[in-house]
Amino acid sequence: MHDTDTLTESSGDLAVDIAGLTRVEGEGSLRLKVRNGVVEQARLEIFEAPRYFERLVVGRTPDEVIDIVARICGICPVAYQMTAVHAFEHGLGIEIDPAVRALRRLLYCGEWIESHALHVYLLHLPDFLGYPSALDMAHDYRAAVEAGLTLKRAGNKLVEMIGGRAIHPVSVRVGGFSRSFRRTEVSALRETLTAALGIALQTVDLVAGLDTPEFERDGRLVALKHPHEYPMNEGRIVSSDGLDLALTDWRSEFAEQQVPWSNALQSRGRDGRPYLLGPSSRITLAGDQLHPTAAAALARTGLAGEIARNPYRSIVARAVELVDAAAEALDIIEAYQPPAEAATRWRPGPCSAAWATEAPRGLIFHAYELDEQGLVAHAQIVPPTSQNQAAIEADLAAFAPRVLHLSHDEATLRIEQLVRSYDPCISCATHFLDLRVENLP
Amino acid sequence: MPAAYFLPRAELDRLFEALAVDGRRIIGPTIADGAVVYDELDSPAGLPHGWMADTAPGSYRLRSTGGERAFDYVVALTSWKRFTHPSLVPLTRSRRDGDQIVVEPIREDAPKLAFVGVRACELAALNIQERAMRAGPAGDPDHAARRDAALIVAVECAAATSTCFCTSMASGPEVDGGADLMLSELDDGFVVRVGSEAGAGVVGPLGLRVASPDAVDRAGTQVAAVRAAIGDPVPGDGLPERLRAALDHPHWAQVAERCLACANCTLVCPTCFCTSVGVASDLDGLDATTERSWDSCFSLGFGRVAGDANFRPKVRDRYRQWLTHKFSTWWDQFGSSGCVGCGRCIAWCPVGIDVRAELVAIAPATAPAGPIPWPLSPAEGRAPAALATAAPARHVIATVRSVMPETVDSATLRLVTTDEALLGARPGQFVMVEQPAFATPPISISRIRPDGLDLTIRSAGAATAVLTGLAAGAQVALRGPLGRGWPVEAAIGRDVVIVAGGIGLAPLRPVIEAVLAERPRFGAVRLYLGARTPHDRLFVAEMGEIAGRADVEVAEIVDRAGPEWLGRVGIVTQLFDQAKWDGSRATAFVCGPERMMQATVATLKGRGVDPAAMWLTLERNMACGVGTCGHCQLGPFFVCRDGPVFSVAELGTAFAREGL
Amino acid sequence: METQAPITPGRRGPRAGTPQRPRIGIVKFASCDGCQLTLLDLEDELLAIAARVDLVEFAEATSHRSAGPFDVLFVEGSISTPEQAEDIARLRAVSHRLVTIGACATAGGIQAIRNWFDHEEVRAVVYPQPGYVDSLAQARPVADFVAVDAELRGCPISPAQLREFLVALVTGRRPQLPDEAVCLECKRRGVVCVAVAQGIPCLGPVTRTGCGALCPAYGRGCYGCFGPRESANTASLAKWLSDDRSASDVGRLFAGFTAWSPPFRAMIDAHGGPPGQVIPVKETNDA
Ligand SMILES: Cc1cc2nc3c(=O)[nH]c(=O)nc-3n(C[C@H](O)[C@H](O)[C@H](O)COP(=O)(O)OP(=O)(O)OC[C@H]3O[C@@H](n4cnc5c(N)ncnc54)[C@H](O)[C@@H]3O)c2cc1C
Ligand code: SF4
Ligand code: SF4
Ligand code: SF4
Ligand code: SF4
Ligand code: FES
Repeated sequence: MHDTDTLTESSGDLAVDIAGLTRVEGEGSLRLKVRNGVVEQARLEIFEAPRYFERLVVGRTPDEVIDIVARICGICPVAYQMTAVHAFEHGLGIEIDPAVRALRRLLYCGEWIESHALHVYLLHLPDFLGYPSALDMAHDYRAAVEAGLTLKRAGNKLVEMIGGRAIHPVSVRVGGFSRSFRRTEVSALRETLTAALGIALQTVDLVAGLDTPEFERDGRLVALKHPHEYPMNEGRIVSSDGLDLALTDWRSEFAEQQVPWSNALQSRGRDGRPYLLGPSSRITLAGDQLHPTAAAALARTGLAGEIARNPYRSIVARAVELVDAAAEALDIIEAYQPPAEAATRWRPGPCSAAWATEAPRGLIFHAYELDEQGLVAHAQIVPPTSQNQAAIEADLAAFAPRVLHLSHDEATLRIEQLVRSYDPCISCATHFLDLRVENLP
Repeated sequence: MPAAYFLPRAELDRLFEALAVDGRRIIGPTIADGAVVYDELDSPAGLPHGWMADTAPGSYRLRSTGGERAFDYVVALTSWKRFTHPSLVPLTRSRRDGDQIVVEPIREDAPKLAFVGVRACELAALNIQERAMRAGPAGDPDHAARRDAALIVAVECAAATSTCFCTSMASGPEVDGGADLMLSELDDGFVVRVGSEAGAGVVGPLGLRVASPDAVDRAGTQVAAVRAAIGDPVPGDGLPERLRAALDHPHWAQVAERCLACANCTLVCPTCFCTSVGVASDLDGLDATTERSWDSCFSLGFGRVAGDANFRPKVRDRYRQWLTHKFSTWWDQFGSSGCVGCGRCIAWCPVGIDVRAELVAIAPATAPAGPIPWPLSPAEGRAPAALATAAPARHVIATVRSVMPETVDSATLRLVTTDEALLGARPGQFVMVEQPAFATPPISISRIRPDGLDLTIRSAGAATAVLTGLAAGAQVALRGPLGRGWPVEAAIGRDVVIVAGGIGLAPLRPVIEAVLAERPRFGAVRLYLGARTPHDRLFVAEMGEIAGRADVEVAEIVDRAGPEWLGRVGIVTQLFDQAKWDGSRATAFVCGPERMMQATVATLKGRGVDPAAMWLTLERNMACGVGTCGHCQLGPFFVCRDGPVFSVAELGTAFAREGL
Repeated sequence: METQAPITPGRRGPRAGTPQRPRIGIVKFASCDGCQLTLLDLEDELLAIAARVDLVEFAEATSHRSAGPFDVLFVEGSISTPEQAEDIARLRAVSHRLVTIGACATAGGIQAIRNWFDHEEVRAVVYPQPGYVDSLAQARPVADFVAVDAELRGCPISPAQLREFLVALVTGRRPQLPDEAVCLECKRRGVVCVAVAQGIPCLGPVTRTGCGALCPAYGRGCYGCFGPRESANTASLAKWLSDDRSASDVGRLFAGFTAWSPPFRAMIDAHGGPPGQVIPVKETNDA
């Protein structure tokens, strides 16, 4: 399963074959072939076993779907739950209490903090500092790793408070939550989050100072944008080239396709162009809505422009979003008043439901058809990594010629590092299995 | 002092204020998540005014009555044991520093609480549980402290629900004392009776007027109506005996088809007291705490002993333990019923199993009394537990002087201590052996020395593996001596037969030594030793020496052996099933695996040994060793406290009964 | 309280590291990564744990790789492709102790729902080019392929239980992983039973504890993510639940993350199979 990495070179050619990518979530590999300076192949292969989620949710109730789709990814279960719950509520016309809306945003902040802290400190930073893992890095940078873990814990505590547990939370229900939360419970996290905000601010300074390879990509960026807040659960789909689309209409602009080297479906624009999602895209497209504390931190780095172009700078974007999520969480806690009822009552029924939210790794889109009994007849789930896959491959192809002069090991490292800077979540990527039933009798 | 005062409804908060002096916190009924629970109350406003609970097997629903009454809900989901016997109680903190260990009991101060709204059945339950928890030689200090710190304000029921049957259990609905204050709620206020000095101290300053005869009358009529409404659903006369006679009733298997063994009934029951002990530690196991948490005879682990053997594997066995304990063997143990008829186990059973219906099916009032499976009382043949020494609840640190390997998987630890209680141990007693971060196994004393004692331990699992691997200089913490030892005196002037299987020789060695020390006072002495293989024989040199004596007969046998073994091969009973000696003059001491003991008892009976002169030591799962955790129960017995040494006559058919 | 077998020198595969610093691997098959992430979620003690064990294979967190041998190999995920079936056999041979972590590895996980569906049909239905994707006819628990020494249950596993297991490993004590019902934790916590007080269906009585009665404490019924407890009497619970719901609604309660475990599977079968067996015929979206 885990063959050793190989790198072979013959004059001017390069073949990088990383059979098991590490420090990414899930199982994938990378295949790059350059002949005479021309990139022949750049592939992010995904061999994570297919789990057929779109098929598994058929026949299920909306609340069951919320529990099931969380299992697509242990790193960002909230993203799946948020997208599904909003899709159903929109489709069924269910109004939610403003306090529920605030709690959902708070929950998402928790996941952003946990996921970004994981990626920044445990998965990505070791690349910049030259360690095989954060555990090794801790021998020399113990304080930094501990700070990262404290930050991650803060995110997890937030998810645990609202969702019961850090992974696969249990409280999200159509209409609201399975229970209500007292003010005292919510504000109990104030100290934790204040400390987290402090660490997040230091993180921005730490990662802004890292040396990054020169690289400018010139691809399309896509994110949600909301007029009053940094995008999480709501907004419109916008792009660096002027797209402005209702988030229920994702399918009118984007489409999935199957490629032979991947157990995931890839998404591209309907015109075939790849596009990039995630923290860098959000900062670039919706940075004007950052929490003032985060906006100030970003300004201090002076890297807003580079974040838009150099994928290696995504670590700075993530750090800025850590500040944003911690600061916003604190604001939400201060203003929190319990909802009148834990959940709005609703009646099952048929509908077409679609929604998109911003997962830590970028825009995630769900669409469901509910039948007469209110059970799922058809589902489409498009996670961020499957949408980013084409952009990653394009960037790899663009970047590869720059490492031809390096030693095998260094070239491999640079390439692997590039892949990691997109924070690909391969576990997520493996479900973009669309139901195609028109051939059935 | 007048018989009763009257507290107008509007003045209930004055009573609350009076209760809350000196930082006393008030615990009373309040509504949470669709049920009445007992929780902390700041004022009477938190009481469930105008709420009634409709209960049925497996169902509980609040219903608004629209009235003002606060105590119509009958009983809450939680029982008061949450406060007198909390679900989690830290027991010890232990630390290891090289060979040295420290084990300290954790004592939390009992909170000063006032329980408001205690019903008649609940008062009875508090007293029943107190008898159980204080029954151990040292009593349970945590429970005692909590109970003593609680002030009790009882409320007489003005309504009953469909699951109530206090009338059958003689526990209610009338409150006749036993509380500091006793209230009866009427539409306009409360008739208040004083039951203790503490209660008088609370109401005295309130300057209440004396209750009118009319109010007292109305209160009486109200509770009489409740009694009439409940009737007598489970005629209690002779119930313990009827149930005891029905141990083999086919209906047990029928209930087991429905019962989930989920333990809800036992955990909501206000008298169930069973607990297990867990260990938490730092990563290296150097700093550890033990804590006890609520557990139940419905747990598989309750019947588990070494080698993953289990005495109560089937749900049928577990349900039988529950029902017979509550309604029958509780009488043997504590002189009362273990049930007060509160109905919680009926309402909160997720599949609506109703003890009343099961009792009627298994032990109908008309059932002919069957054979009595075990003697009912000391008068009928059960020896008093006087052979036990009182066990200290403290831990004594003992140091390993030397370790003698016995077999490939067992060793004898020679421990030194100056603790007088331990040095005064009797043959057959045992100790609980604690080390930081490990479970605490019961181990028999295999030799009592002037300066300490020996433990001979077989590595049967994690804790015993560590113990057998200790080196000289290491320390262990001991609690004991526990249990009732061998009645060696009873054999004076008689022949002595000792039958040991495997590690079972360990607890018998002090008997052998005691008999040989005063050899002339006994008749013939016969030792029959069995082991799995020649390599599993214990104390080989010592037994060889004894075999050399002319005044002792020693015979050995092993289950399996290679050609190098010149002795006998087979099971231990083969050593004496053809023997010529006359059992009627003999006193027998037997220890070994349960199956071996069953076979031995049968063979000894065949030799004419009187069951009252046949002594066994039983193995059961043990967590406390002092009769408060409930694990080791065997019918009416707590093996730790009433045994582990029993005569076959005492045990009756509780011995060797499957699943008991 | 029932506990699992102690971690003492054992049956298969030699010991690899020193007893003081066991060699540990974490590998995954079809899963969401959540169970292995639980190790990283032990933030407060992660570095201290890492100092006490030799984490030689953990692709999610480190670029060090190892193909074995392992003193303890934690396995996440169900076996769902022919390649995975070969891998698990090879890994077993180099692992002294093999421990499955999570519902996927111990019971097949949510993806095992497809075990009720016809594989060829599902593949043809799902993929435009089924040939690109390799999967076994069923997603099955690891124990269906190789011997398993211990299980950590849950979807995901409990951080506290993982810690307990690791402490037991380094101290040599028996891991305290109770196999009793969720109800015991529920009552210890003082949670009001949602089944009895609100009529919400709850699998707590037949599900193994470990979560601390999370769902009832959060106002909903247990959905069985820790899988069946010992002596799980699912038939009796299903019968009780049938009083006020249809057979298919009883079946769906058991068709969750541990659906393929025998006691739950039996109830699904007895109530007409899991939801979604019939795929509604409908035009697809794009792609
Ligand atoms: C009165 C009495 C006297 C005993 N005397 C001896 C003796 O002299 N020498 C000897 O070698 N053994 C003796 N045993 C058996 C010994 O107690 C068990 O072998 C031991 O508890 C196993 O513990 P463990 O942790 O090593 O086993 P594991 O299998 O790892 O753990 C079992 C756990 O279950 C619990 N438990 C409680 N009671 C028992 C029990 N009776 N059997 C098994 N587990 C139990 C404990 O928490 C124990 O740690 C005696 C048992 C009893 C009841
Ligand atoms: S009688 Fe009911 S509550 Fe008690 S263990 Fe059985 S199913 Fe559970
Ligand atoms: S056995 Fe049932 S009715 Fe009796 S006291 Fe216990 S919970 Fe109440
Ligand atoms: S043994 Fe008795 S006291 Fe203990 S849980 Fe069972 S019924 Fe209750
Ligand atoms: S809520 Fe569920 S887990 Fe809790 S006691 Fe009731 S049935 Fe058991
Ligand atoms: S009652 Fe606890 S061991 Fe006997």
